[in-house]
Amino acid sequence: MSEYADTLVADLLRPLVKTSWRFWTLVVLLLGVVSLGVGSFAYQVNTGIGVWGLNSPVFWAFDITNFVFWIGISHAGTLISAILRLVNAEWRRPVTRCAEVITVFALMIGAMFPIVHLGRPWLFFWLMPYPTERQIWPNFRSPLVWDFFAITTYLTGSSLFLYLPTIPDFALVRDKATGFRRRLYSILALGWSGTTKQWHRLESAMQIMAIAIVPVAVSVHTIVSFDFSMAPVPGWHSTIFGPYFVAGAIFSGIAALIIAMASIRKFLHLEKYLHPVHFENLGKLLLLMSLLWGYFVFAERLTTWYGNAGSEMTVFWQTQRLSFAPLYWTMVVANFIVPVTILSFKRTRTIAGCVVASFGVVLGMWLERFLIIVPALGHKYLAYSWGSYRPRTPEILLLVATFGAMVLLYVLFSKVVPIISIWEMKIGEHPKLAHEQRTRDEAQAMWRTQP
Amino acid sequence: MVVDLDTCTGCEACVVACHAENNIPTAGPDEAARGRAMHWLRVERYWEGEFPDARLKFRPVLCQQCDAAPCESVCPTYASHHTDEGLNAQVYNRCIGTRYCANACPYNVRFFNFFNPQWDKPLHLQFNPDVSIREVGVMEKCTFCVQRIKAVEQTADAEQREMKDGELKPACAQSCPATAIVFGDLNDPESRVARLFESGRGEKLLEDVGAQPKIVYLKRQAEV
Amino acid sequence: MTAMYALFDRPEAAQRAYTGLKRAGVATRDITVISGEPFEAFEFSHRDHSMILFRLALLGGIVGFASAVLLVRGTELAWPLVTGGMPIVAWWPNLVIIFEMTMLGAIVTTVISLLATSGLPSFRRSMYDPAVSDGKILVGVPVAAGGASDAIKEALSTGAIAVKTADF
Repeated sequence: MSEYADTLVADLLRPLVKTSWRFWTLVVLLLGVVSLGVGSFAYQVNTGIGVWGLNSPVFWAFDITNFVFWIGISHAGTLISAILRLVNAEWRRPVTRCAEVITVFALMIGAMFPIVHLGRPWLFFWLMPYPTERQIWPNFRSPLVWDFFAITTYLTGSSLFLYLPTIPDFALVRDKATGFRRRLYSILALGWSGTTKQWHRLESAMQIMAIAIVPVAVSVHTIVSFDFSMAPVPGWHSTIFGPYFVAGAIFSGIAALIIAMASIRKFLHLEKYLHPVHFENLGKLLLLMSLLWGYFVFAERLTTWYGNAGSEMTVFWQTQRLSFAPLYWTMVVANFIVPVTILSFKRTRTIAGCVVASFGVVLGMWLERFLIIVPALGHKYLAYSWGSYRPRTPEILLLVATFGAMVLLYVLFSKVVPIISIWEMKIGEHPKLAHEQRTRDEAQAMWRTQP
Repeated sequence: MVVDLDTCTGCEACVVACHAENNIPTAGPDEAARGRAMHWLRVERYWEGEFPDARLKFRPVLCQQCDAAPCESVCPTYASHHTDEGLNAQVYNRCIGTRYCANACPYNVRFFNFFNPQWDKPLHLQFNPDVSIREVGVMEKCTFCVQRIKAVEQTADAEQREMKDGELKPACAQSCPATAIVFGDLNDPESRVARLFESGRGEKLLEDVGAQPKIVYLKRQAEV
Repeated sequence: MTAMYALFDRPEAAQRAYTGLKRAGVATRDITVISGEPFEAFEFSHRDHSMILFRLALLGGIVGFASAVLLVRGTELAWPLVTGGMPIVAWWPNLVIIFEMTMLGAIVTTVISLLATSGLPSFRRSMYDPAVSDGKILVGVPVAAGGASDAIKEALSTGAIAVKTADF
C-alpha cells in the first residue's frame, strides 16, 4: 500500500516540482493571446461598442454567445463531480479536481461577459444590490439581475467546492516544501493536520456542498436561458429553453472535461491514473447527452414547424435553408452525427475517439448559442427592420482570448496544485481496509487501481 | 396618438423633425450601411403586388409606449420604466447599455449609441436645449417629445387650466403636412384623437404579441 | 503541552495502539489520531461524528431565504416603479432571487462552520508530525510532567515505526 501511495504522491507532485522550458513557452504564448483580448476590450471601452459588428436589430451576437458558451462549459465540472460523489461512483476519484477546475475558470471567464458587453461597462456595479445615494436598487424582474445572483452563487459555491478538498493536499505539499513555497502552502492549508474530527467535518461539508451545488448548477443555466425566453422574440420565447440549455451545458461541459483530461494525461504523464475506462465512462455520458441534445432540438423544431406561425417560421427557415443553413448543419454534424457515430461503438470509444468527438461538440455548442441569438434577432416581427450580422476583428480577438485564458489558467493551476486529488486517490486504493486482508487482485477488480 | 395611414404620403418630414427636436445624430453613410441609423421615428415602406399593379404602403413606426412593455421588465437598472402618465420612460443616466430592451422590443424602435454622437459643423449649434445629448453606450427612443409634454403641462399648471386639445404636439405631429399624426388626450371624448379612434378604421400594430401598444393606426379606406 | 506519539505505517497497527491506550485508561478525547487520509472502516475513526454542519447549513439557508425576501420585497416597495405591466412586488421573478440567496446562505454557512468546527485556520502549534504526509498514522496522547505511564508507553510502542515525545 505505501509503495503505491509513494508513487502516487511522487507522480502527482511532479508538475509542482519540475518545470520545463515547454511550460514557460506555453505560458508566454498564452499570455500573448490573452493580452490581445485585453487590448481589444480596452479599445472597445475607449471607442464604443461600435467597433464590434452589432447593429440594429442584432444587438447581441458574439458577446452573449461567448457568455452562454462559457457558462455552459462550467457545468460539467461541479455537476459531474457533485453527482459522482453523491452516487459514490469510485471511478470519479482522479476526475473530480480537474473537472472542478474547469468549472471555476470557465465561470470566471463567462462572468466577465456581462461586464464586457455593456455599453457603459464602468457602471457594471449598478447590477449589484447595494444601498445607493439615489436610493434605487436593481430591477429584480430582469433576467440580467437573476444572472448576477445565479452566477455569484455558483461561482462562490464551485470555488469553495474546489478549494475544500484541496486543503489536505496543500497540507501534504506544505510538509514537503521548503522556503517561500512552504509558507505559501501553509497559508493555503490553513493549518490542517488531519485529525479524525477534521476529516469528518470535511466530508460532511463536501456532502452538503455536493447536495447544494446540483440545484444551483441547474438553476444557473436555466436563468441564463431565461435571458432569451423572457423576451417576445420569435424563436426565443419558448418554454423548452430552460431544460434545453441545461442539457446543452452539461453536454458541452463533459466535452471540455474530456479534452482537459486527455491533455493532462498526455502532458503531465498521468497514464497510470487516468485510464481508458475513465474516458469510456465519460464518453458514454457524452453520447447520452448528445442524444438528449438531439431530442430537445428535434422536439423544438418539430413543434415550431407544426405551429407554422409567421414570425417563427421566418426564423426557422433562416437556419434550416437560408443564410444560416451552412452553420446550422455544421452544428448538427458536430453535435450529433459525429459524436453519436464515434461514441456508440466500443471500438471507436477510445481516448482519441472521445477527444475528437469532444472537439466537435465544443464547436457545435458554440455554434448552437450563436444560432439561437443572431437569426432570431435579425428577423423579428417587422420585416422592414430585419438585419444581418458579421463579426469584426475586436470580437474575434476576444473570443480567441477567452480560449487562451482558459488554457492559461488551467496550466497555471496544474503547476501550483496537484491536478488529481491525492488523498482521495489514496482512499480509492484501499477503500475498505477491514480487518481481513484484501488481495491486490480483488482491489483491482473492484476499484481499477492499475491501468 | 393616432396615425392615419390613408393620409400619410411617406414624405418623412416627421423623421427630420424628430431628429431636429431630439438632438438625434445622423449616423453617416458607413454606419448606416452597418445598420446603425438612429431614426426614433421611421417610415416603413412596403411594396405590394407585381408591376403594373404594384402598390406602395407607408407606415410611420415609433415607440408604441406599450402598457405591458417587454422592454421595461428586462432592464436591470430601471432605466426603462412606466411613468404614472402612461409613458415608457428612458432614463439615459441610468442606462448601462445591456441592450436587452432593444432585443425585447417587438417593434425595433429602440436605438443604441454605438459611438459618441458627432455632428458636422455648423449643426453642432442647433441643439434643442430641452433635450440632453446621449453619450456612447446608452439606449434611446421616442419619448412622445416628453420635453414638450412637460412644458405644456407646466404652462397649463401656471395658468391654472386644463391643457387644450391640440395644444401639445410632438415634433412629428407638428411637422406632418398631411396631418397624418394626431396627438391628444384619449380620455377627452371631444378631442380629435378620440373621434378618430371611434372611426372604425383603427387597429394596433402587432397586437397579438401582447405588449398592449397605445398607438392606433387608421387603415387606408380601400382596405376597410 | 507535552505529548508522546507514535507513528505507524499500517492502520491495523494504529488501531492496536489505540485499543491499547484505551485499555491503559486514557480517555477517548485525549487520544489524537492524525492521518493523511481518512480511515472510515477502523474503530479509531468512529468518533467525532456530528450532524452539526447539516443543521447549520439548514440554518444558513433559512437566513439566506429571509434576507432575500426582505431584499426583494423591501426594495421593490421602497421605490415602486412599474415595469412591463407587472405588479410592484412580482413574486414569480422574486422567487429566482430568493432561491439563489437561500442556496448561497447554505453554502457559505457550511464553509464557515467547517472552518470553525475544525479549528481552521490554525495558527497555534498542535500535535503533528510531517511524516503523516508520507502516509504514516500518528497516534498520540498528552503526557503529564512526570512522564508517561508504562502502560501508555507499551501501547504506543507496539508495532510503531517511531515513538517521540515533543512539546506543542
